[in-house]
Amino acid sequence: MSTVDRAFGFTSLHRVGVSVIRWAEDIGALTLQLWAAIWKIPRVLPVIGKRRRWTDAVRQMLAIGVSALPMVSIMSLCLGFVVALEGAAELRRFGGLQYVVDLVVIGFTRELAALITGIAVSGRSASAIAAEVGTMLVTEEMDTLRVMGLNPIEFTLAPKFLGALITIPCLAILSTLCGIFSGYFFLAFSIDMNFLVYSREVLESIQLRDVWLTLIKSVVFATIIVQVGYLAGLRASGEPESVGRATTAAVVRSTFLVIVADLAATSFFYLMGWSAAG
Amino acid sequence: MTHSGAGAGEPVIVVRGVSVSFGSKAVLNTINLDVCRGEILVLLGGSGSGKTTLLKQILGLMKPDRGSIYINGVDITCCTSAELIAVRRRLGVAFQSAALFNSLSVEENVAMPLHELTELADSTISLMVWIKLKAVGLTDAARLYPRELSGGMRKRAAIARAIAMDPEILVFDEPSAGLDPIVAAGLDELIVFLKRTLGMTILVVTHALESAFRIADRIAMLDHGHLIAVGTKDEFQASTLPHIRQFLERKSDFRAAEGNFASAYLQEFMHEH
Repeated sequence: MSTVDRAFGFTSLHRVGVSVIRWAEDIGALTLQLWAAIWKIPRVLPVIGKRRRWTDAVRQMLAIGVSALPMVSIMSLCLGFVVALEGAAELRRFGGLQYVVDLVVIGFTRELAALITGIAVSGRSASAIAAEVGTMLVTEEMDTLRVMGLNPIEFTLAPKFLGALITIPCLAILSTLCGIFSGYFFLAFSIDMNFLVYSREVLESIQLRDVWLTLIKSVVFATIIVQVGYLAGLRASGEPESVGRATTAAVVRSTFLVIVADLAATSFFYLMGWSAAG
Repeated sequence: MTHSGAGAGEPVIVVRGVSVSFGSKAVLNTINLDVCRGEILVLLGGSGSGKTTLLKQILGLMKPDRGSIYINGVDITCCTSAELIAVRRRLGVAFQSAALFNSLSVEENVAMPLHELTELADSTISLMVWIKLKAVGLTDAARLYPRELSGGMRKRAAIARAIAMDPEILVFDEPSAGLDPIVAAGLDELIVFLKRTLGMTILVVTHALESAFRIADRIAMLDHGHLIAVGTKDEFQASTLPHIRQFLERKSDFRAAEGNFASAYLQEFMHEH
């Protein structure tokens, strides 16, 4: 009996230790990989980089950004409507229905647009990237690149990274527009608000600082999604089933980290006093 | 039959005292092997003999725990990455799974190293690609994508890509794995053809016995991480070493299932040689 207890105590300690070491390892690997990817970005840029890399980056922009357009816009429309609806239910009690506009505009520019884009793209692209990289590893394509004397980071990671860095902020802006439009949709139906009146209200409550905040956050989310997805793919270990596990791990981790990073960024800007209500 | 019997030309790939272990399991034990210029050396071994691991060491994809590997006189276990890249550019590899880039057509796959590593004009590159595809007999499939090819065609495309840069050394990992005997025989002929016409040094890693005897100038046999024999085909066929006889006569290693008897037998065997 005592040996079983001891064995159990040992194995649970062992498990905690192993997972801590794995986290530390992953953070180290992510840092190195991010650093390598940043150094390879110039090779992907048009004009100064290689022409073929830029073509790759454009293909990635289509895969990561353009094909996520319908999903992100529909999600933002729905969420914008929900925020307006929920807000109106409360604000009506205080006779402040016009504040619904501020609620939607501030909610989207400051927080929801970047977050919803981050989560949507994380679900679509982190898994796609992990699956692609894992498959390349299993089919020895990565080895082929290395044996040819070509850098796998430059070939496979840098175009995705650049593609995400360009398209995800664009998606966040689109999401903001959809959310705000959806708010108008609600108010037009519920209190027959004029579009011009709504636009004037929007322009009054929108702040350039908040838009910057969204852009900065979406750049951070883009980095997390691509880097975490790529690393999860690299962790696939040779047999085909490991690609499936890597794909799941990629989505779970990148979504988790997107939300943690959102908290970190929001509290940072709050503490710096950049997001005090204007 | 010696442990590192010399072939015809001077050695191009020299493996000296290479040992690798994963955890506590020794995968390769002090391997010494020379591959000489202009020969086809077949590295023969069963599953789990360590032949793929040795291949990865030679390609510089993994570093050995001990020992050194010289390719054209450069020790790839401790050279700079620039030197390693220079060595790799004179080395063509056709992997077991062909490893074609799925988003590129066959001709783009073959052209890829030329586009990336040389400054040649597009017209020159497309001519070179055509020559390589002609050499492997795939000119009709140039515009197809890897998923549209049969297993044998994929291997041929991988070979065309491996010879795209006119390497001095060509490495094949299991060229006949997963192919029917006729297609496999065709690939063997192609390998011999490449050696004859282009004078390349060729290292083939395989477990397929017939193919080894068809193409090899010399055969090296790996067993459980030990290089147990190196010699010509005739020497091999005349060999009386029990493990080689077992491999040649396709006898199963059934005793291994019954506990440690097989490994005890092997240890005894290792002491003898």
